[in-house]
Amino acid sequence: MKIVVCVKQVPATTAEKRYTSELRLDRAATEAVINPLDEYAVEQALRLKEGSVVDEVVYLSMGPDSASEALRRSLAMGGDGGVLVTDPALAGADEWVTARVLAAALDRLAPEVTLMGMASDDARGSLVPGAVAAIRGVPLLAYGSELRLTDGAAQIRRLNPTGFDILEAPLPVVASVTDQVGEPRYASLKGIMAARRMELTTWSVADLGLDPANLVPLTQVVAADPPPAKPPALVISGLGPEDAATRIADWLAERKLIA
Amino acid sequence: MADVAFLAEFADGHPTRSALELAAGAAELAAAGGEAIGLAYGPGAAEGAAGLGAAGAARVVVLGSAAAPAITVAGPLVEAVRTAAPAAVLAPATPNGRDLAAVLVGSLGLPAFGPVRAVHMEGGAVRCEMSTLQGAMITASLPAPSAPATSGVLVSAGTYVPAEGGSGKAAVSQAPAADSPQARVRVVETAAEAAAIAALEEAEIIVAGGRGVGSEAGFEALNQLAAALGGAVGASRAAADAGWVPYQLQIGQTGKVVKPALYLAVGISGAIQHRVGMQAAEHIVAINRDPDAPIGEFADLFVVGDLFEIVPRLTAEIERRKGT
Repeated sequence: MKIVVCVKQVPATTAEKRYTSELRLDRAATEAVINPLDEYAVEQALRLKEGSVVDEVVYLSMGPDSASEALRRSLAMGGDGGVLVTDPALAGADEWVTARVLAAALDRLAPEVTLMGMASDDARGSLVPGAVAAIRGVPLLAYGSELRLTDGAAQIRRLNPTGFDILEAPLPVVASVTDQVGEPRYASLKGIMAARRMELTTWSVADLGLDPANLVPLTQVVAADPPPAKPPALVISGLGPEDAATRIADWLAERKLIA
Repeated sequence: MADVAFLAEFADGHPTRSALELAAGAAELAAAGGEAIGLAYGPGAAEGAAGLGAAGAARVVVLGSAAAPAITVAGPLVEAVRTAAPAAVLAPATPNGRDLAAVLVGSLGLPAFGPVRAVHMEGGAVRCEMSTLQGAMITASLPAPSAPATSGVLVSAGTYVPAEGGSGKAAVSQAPAADSPQARVRVVETAAEAAAIAALEEAEIIVAGGRGVGSEAGFEALNQLAAALGGAVGASRAAADAGWVPYQLQIGQTGKVVKPALYLAVGISGAIQHRVGMQAAEHIVAINRDPDAPIGEFADLFVVGDLFEIVPRLTAEIERRKGT
């Protein structure tokens, strides 16, 4: 059984973010890392491989050349290969374009399970897994705190309002997992060296049989501004607990948050 | 023209809070000559559909009433949206809402936005304001000129306030049956870990605890403070991971996103992953031992001190004021 894990290179949390004159994130000028939530998908896939349910774990990323770093970072944790879809036509891709391109690459890779992180750090729609599932015509099992594979079916454990459900769908599926699957493993030095030497597959839009004219984003950013600055907090320190409690209660009462 | 549709999830026979909020939002956006169209699903949807009229819906299409995973109504949803051709479909930014919105966007090739903090109609199309890059930027986006006329829009909890005192009845129709791969998703096991867990998205006041609370027993003081304030208890990921509270109470990037009137952060350092789940709160009060905790950068009131000493006294003080 083959799992393809989709990984994305995103701006580091601490990086300073700039926008280009076309109101796109200037990815070339921004320090980038593998999307932290994708590392949980990598971890889940490798655990399934260790459980010998899965024979092959392949990573798939779409982005500029530098996105190969997300693939190598994943390969350093384990796994069998990496595919980068990169093309100047994909700059500024939105959810729809991203899903179309990933779906076309997945058509070629033909995994039983496509696995993704639950969200990306830089855009929080979490829409790509479901859009890819719809385009490929396969069931979606999203937000699993665990992924299990049985003969011919996939199951996820998913929170419900008071507990959890086990959801099941026949293979092939697209699944996403949360940060509850277990902490991602550290890459060993040996793993890092091996990942550096590994040959990656690179596909362009044309390689996937897609026409760039059909990959025009359906959304456009018309303004990007930093949020309005918030006034600094009123800081209370050095008071005894009794006085501190009274001050908080006064503050809440002034704002009519308590009677 | 310019109808606006919304996902209306039902649970236990009643519309959920998100259904009522989105009904108000759709009614507001459709006010210039269009209709708010409910797309109802979940247990009780067929019986409760007409009642969404009081919340703002002019008509409601019932996608399904079974106690099945929300994703299983994806087929009827896609057909209903194709037929109604609204300017936008509002979906709650919950796991169920995102699942359905994602399949809709992928099936019909729609522009997708969100989670949004505000939506406006401009010339029959949506203009969406979003906080992006973990709050570093506020962007405004439109459908591209070449895009289909319908947009998918994820809406954060608390963006709209449910209508009060409405009484209208919505016209109800049944969505045509439509097959979809998503109909093959089924529940094979279900487990309740707690009898009832407060719905954080509905709470006006949230008392949230983090690593500093130290133990499951430590949360008892927070429960008492929340009870005195008439609020609900939430938690950071660290507290949920430690097993002190169920994951349903986790607030942040991988938990819930909340927008209460008051957010009291107790023993929470304020990492960016937590911040994105609560920064929209109207008032933020933090109690933390560490004067350099990042939460001090975005709180309104930052009290440096020992939470174990302050919280019980604050509870007592609030109870005392209520008594007088």
